[in-house]
Amino acid sequence: MREVAGYIPDIGEEDFQKKILIFKRNDIEIEVEIPLLTIEQINKVIDKVKKANTEILKSFSVVEILNIIDKAIDRLLDRTTSYRQKAEQQLPIITGYDEEVIRLGLTSYLKKFRKHELQRFVLEDLGNPLLLDDFQPRIKGGFSKAVGPNLITHIWSGNVPALPLWSFISALLAKSGNIGKVSSAEPLFAGWFARLLVEIEPKLADCFAVIWWKGGDKERETCILEQSDVVVGYGSNGTLESLRSRTPITSRFLAYGHKISFGVISHTSLDSQKSFGTVRQAALDVIRYDQQGCYSPHIIYVQHGGNVSPREFARYMAHELDNLEKRYPRRSLSMEESAALASWRQKEEMSVFFDSQKEVLGNTTHDWTVVYEEEDINFTPSCLNRVIKVIAFEKIEDLIPTIEPHRAFLQTIGIAGSPKELFHWAESLGRIGVTRITALGSMTSPEAGWHHDGRFNLLDLINMVDIESSAEVYSEKFAPYVD
Amino acid sequence: MSKQQEVIKNIVCFMQNEFSSDDAFNEHALQLFSYQYQNNLPYQTFCFQKRKTPRVVKSWRDIPAVPINAFKEVTLSSTKTEEAEAVFMTSGTTKGIRGKHYHPTLDVFDQSMIFNFKKRFMKETEKIRMGILFPTEIEMPNSSLAHYLALGLREFGTEDSHYLITESGVNMGRLLKELDHAEKTGKPYALLGASFSFVHMFDELKRMGKTFILPKGSKILDTGGYKNQSKELSLDEFYELLSTFLGVDRSEGINMYGMTELSTQFYDYGNLSVPSVKSGPHWIRTRVINPLTGEEVPKGERGVLVHCDLANFNSVTTILTEDLGVEVDDGFLLLGRVQGTEAKGCSLAVDEFLKAAKGVSN
Repeated sequence: MREVAGYIPDIGEEDFQKKILIFKRNDIEIEVEIPLLTIEQINKVIDKVKKANTEILKSFSVVEILNIIDKAIDRLLDRTTSYRQKAEQQLPIITGYDEEVIRLGLTSYLKKFRKHELQRFVLEDLGNPLLLDDFQPRIKGGFSKAVGPNLITHIWSGNVPALPLWSFISALLAKSGNIGKVSSAEPLFAGWFARLLVEIEPKLADCFAVIWWKGGDKERETCILEQSDVVVGYGSNGTLESLRSRTPITSRFLAYGHKISFGVISHTSLDSQKSFGTVRQAALDVIRYDQQGCYSPHIIYVQHGGNVSPREFARYMAHELDNLEKRYPRRSLSMEESAALASWRQKEEMSVFFDSQKEVLGNTTHDWTVVYEEEDINFTPSCLNRVIKVIAFEKIEDLIPTIEPHRAFLQTIGIAGSPKELFHWAESLGRIGVTRITALGSMTSPEAGWHHDGRFNLLDLINMVDIESSAEVYSEKFAPYVD
Repeated sequence: MSKQQEVIKNIVCFMQNEFSSDDAFNEHALQLFSYQYQNNLPYQTFCFQKRKTPRVVKSWRDIPAVPINAFKEVTLSSTKTEEAEAVFMTSGTTKGIRGKHYHPTLDVFDQSMIFNFKKRFMKETEKIRMGILFPTEIEMPNSSLAHYLALGLREFGTEDSHYLITESGVNMGRLLKELDHAEKTGKPYALLGASFSFVHMFDELKRMGKTFILPKGSKILDTGGYKNQSKELSLDEFYELLSTFLGVDRSEGINMYGMTELSTQFYDYGNLSVPSVKSGPHWIRTRVINPLTGEEVPKGERGVLVHCDLANFNSVTTILTEDLGVEVDDGFLLLGRVQGTEAKGCSLAVDEFLKAAKGVSN
């Protein structure tokens, strides 16, 4: 099977160097063909996108853009359309995740970009969506308008399917030209989305490009970075550091680094009736995308005092992961990942010698692993791929000192607890760097309008242009109709 | 005779018999397994967890392989560690904890080294003038490599052999004299040491614009990779530079693969093509496994190496490495260490976390 990735506006050339990426799962192979542009071609694309942005995209009203995106999402949600079918068929092969995990994940994810959700998205950041179209009066006097940059460059990374949509759609709403660089681990979805948009509104054909180069290609990266107004970078801190150092000081660099998330479970959710559901939600958060998302849990903290003890919780969790493995098997791991996982587990098994409270649960083929800790409450990341640590605690205050040093890496917490606990814990954890608190079981699907890593989706992209009231008053003097 | 003496006697005897059978290897491995199981409590617990006791293990392939990390966490010794003649430690610096390998006596280690070194490196040569690109045993008393090289020098080096490393790095003055001398006299010369020291040497020679053509019969032995001590060269570049700067044919550039956790080393037959085929003597055997299942992978496929070294009479015979390799005819290809994996998605990888955590604690 061969699939062409990326999307390039018409730059009067069709002759591109091509790079072939090969993906294989269960004996089905896909060759992904992706154009590799020369510096000259990249420059042409940049000029084209910037021009189309000024002349075309900026003339659309935000409602018109919302409608176009809504139509595109509509088609992607409809399982009878060719794009959706392609996604369901090819993404499992590209990313290795189970078909059902992808199908369910896609639907729950795409739903967040329907029109009514996007309206919330815009409202959330701007209050008045019309700010994106026109100067709007302000309460203090004067007028303001939100103006999107000419060119936003997105450096996407990772293999969580369709992840690029967040920043791509935000940038479209900001009426900005876009160049997106897809990752080799999931090079397809962003290009499909771009093509779909153009099918729905051909006028947008030159307003964006989805391309690829090998991460770290200094020449190509520098060429694009130097010409971008805003750069949205995803990846490890090392990668981001390198990108930021080459972004002009006059441009904005938005860094979305790798993060750690975790679950916190109160004893109130662990009575004989509710505990089963709690365990299941926690296990689901672990198996979705095999914990590869920044919002996926590395650790589940479980409070003492419930009918089900933290130790029992860990054992139930093991059981649940074993069940889920049958229905949603884990992606097959590379030899490097396998070795890392095995070595992680061996190390844990080894430490059981010194810590009689500890338990390491897993099957002989390492499809999942649960480590139960009581003594050592240190905050250490999991090696992922369905490896989870369950740590017992008495009260949240005991945990804070171990988590706080890692403030820069914290993101989501999935909570199972009473309303009182929810707000109490949110207060303590928010103070040490956590930016998203969600229900256990919803960790991997953030709401529309969420503050990704605590930041704004649209506000961070745009510039506000103010007309101060003095200008308005002063201008009256020069009106042709002045008395 | 104590139990330990008996064990040593048996194994040395086995090492001396080059034409021993598969069955004999198996028998010795199982005897050692039983000895270590009985005398090494942490290992016993480890085996028990895996439901592998001497009663059920019938083949050396079934002996539970101890991950090399375990040498950091627990004491793996069948005798009292206070009485050990030598303790070799790994250079691993994570959390400052180093793996420890206890040798109650170095007799077995030394015999293993000498037999094998003679056969694979010295070959027909009895003695050779040596230059060692590594610190001495006195400078690094817990380094198995320092001991290995010292032994090589003592047993096979001529009297005018030298150490060529000082506190400030490669002693270039001395090295140039040695190379000059070899070139002038036409007497074969052997240079042995850490791979990264060779890289430093190449850099210096390049800076000075010097190249040599060492006499026929000269030999090179490098080991250990780069360990962040120098820039990383590909194997091909490394052996190419070796022949460019020293005029030693790539087939005379031998790479030794050894580990602190073992008492036996592996060698290749030169590095004309890389990666070269590595193999060891008859008292060590290697399996290539899938780390998730512990099963052997089909021949020709990549996996993680497990070594069963009968010269490890005191610690554990069978260790699980973090090295990737492929089984081939006559040995295995070493594909390097399993690198910490980069994050696949956007969740933080353990390696990045550790790096950052180091920053916090410094």
